Amino acid sequence: MTAALGPAPSALDTPGRRRRPLAVARMQLVNLPIQLGMPWLILAIAFAVNLVIFALVPDPPAGEPKVTGGLLSIYLFVVVAHLVTMTQVFPFALGLSVTRRDFFTGTALFIVAQSAVQGLLLTLLLALEQATGGWGMGLHFFGVPSLVQQNWVLQWLVYTVPFLLFSFASILAGTILKRFGQLGMWIASVGLLLLGGIAAVLITWQQAWPTVGRFFAETPAALLFAGYPAMLAAFAAGVAYLFLRRATV
Amino acid sequence: MTAVRMRGVVKRYGDFTALDDVNLELRENTVHGLLGRNGAGKTTIMQILTGQGFETAGEVEVFGLHPYENPAVLDRVCFIREAQKYPDAFRVRDALSAAGMLYPNWDADFATSLVEEFHLRTRQPIKKLSRGQLSAVGVIIGLASRAPLTFFDEPYLGLDAVARQLFYDRLLADYAVHPRTIVLSTHLIDEVSDLIEHVVVIDKGRILMDEDADVLRGRAVTVTGPAAAVKAFAAGHTELHREELGGFLRVTLEGADPDTRLRSEGLEFEPVSLQQLVVRTTQLATEPRRENHDGREVAAR
Repeated sequence: MTAALGPAPSALDTPGRRRRPLAVARMQLVNLPIQLGMPWLILAIAFAVNLVIFALVPDPPAGEPKVTGGLLSIYLFVVVAHLVTMTQVFPFALGLSVTRRDFFTGTALFIVAQSAVQGLLLTLLLALEQATGGWGMGLHFFGVPSLVQQNWVLQWLVYTVPFLLFSFASILAGTILKRFGQLGMWIASVGLLLLGGIAAVLITWQQAWPTVGRFFAETPAALLFAGYPAMLAAFAAGVAYLFLRRATV
Repeated sequence: MTAVRMRGVVKRYGDFTALDDVNLELRENTVHGLLGRNGAGKTTIMQILTGQGFETAGEVEVFGLHPYENPAVLDRVCFIREAQKYPDAFRVRDALSAAGMLYPNWDADFATSLVEEFHLRTRQPIKKLSRGQLSAVGVIIGLASRAPLTFFDEPYLGLDAVARQLFYDRLLADYAVHPRTIVLSTHLIDEVSDLIEHVVVIDKGRILMDEDADVLRGRAVTVTGPAAAVKAFAAGHTELHREELGGFLRVTLEGADPDTRLRSEGLEFEPVSLQQLVVRTTQLATEPRRENHDGREVAAR
């Protein structure tokens, strides 16, 4: 029971106010069974299917690893999850007198924690995969060859940072939808396609495809999967926050 | 003390002017009724006052500060809207616990008792609630938050008459113990007329009426009787409404005192409800005027 009402400026700097971003993060936890349970369930199914298939089909010629792209599904899941963050949690939070800044802080906190935990789980599973000789059959499900690092911290980053990128890219997309509506989404999508097209034309015109290929082949995986995505994620987060400042529900 | 102050506030959406030079002050610890037709600008005002919308021009102050992105203000403001959205995965308890984390004055026991009174169950998924139950969740959050400034924007959608009465009763009882500033936006004016202490009527983005309810209650009177006698009585008063049937006339007058001695001439006096007064005043302000046969200005209908 709180009977105290009216102005109490001193009370405004109590932990209550600092708790607001945490309250937003807590709202996300309600979605946790869907946010974490579903993608891991699907990954488990993909894994099981891969185990069965690779157990049944004849071994590939010596030297060719048994590789599968099943891992990608879990990254695509955060995209869906954080579109829901923007279309459902944001209107709810704003309706409960949460400032856009506190909403963004709480959401970013949650995304960082979510990415770090999922990255850690993948790292542990990779360790298990390597310890069991690829689940007893030389399967590279978690250890997609170009991703594997010697250093475990780097390995964790290589798994974690793409989660950050996918999450914040999704938040940015959701913010564009909230701020500029469907038209904004169309313009952003078409603009992105155009940029890609122009880049492809320029590269072809300059006959620079080998250079592009070399870039991807020669850039260390840690930079390609952690360094650059971290910069892109930070950029997406920054732009998303700027748009969010004037977004309405 | 003033809880809310708006000065020359304008809101435009492209060509459309939603608010046109709105000047408004809301007294602290008072129940205000924000009344007006659909699209009059009620929700726009509340969105701006809660930092959810942005004014195009003018000054806005809530507890002396601008509400936009201002936790010092928003910590003390609760805005329950008819269209409040809840995440799909939420159950009733999730929405209430989120509110409990956010509102400093939240009373969990009060919330629990309201959940029972509105026949909700805390484990119910919000997605599965009926329209009325959804409104009840909003009402519970609005009451239990005990925010020093609480807005209810048509909070009753789908609520049956019993549940609406429960809302009014609990609001009044809790307000008596925990005085606060309440803004009630509603179309069911008769239902809340005993609750409202101050009335603001808005139409087409302009403030039409801004008065204490006590003043308004005695402001208008309806006179019925033989046309000649009614006309004689009505002379010199502002006519809000006129109906004529045969030789009988029924007019709603502003500022006229009932004169019971005129009963002998066949005149009947009736008090005008707040709802009638609001409706007639809005009609008078919006409908095209014409001169009637007396040469005095009245509403077209």
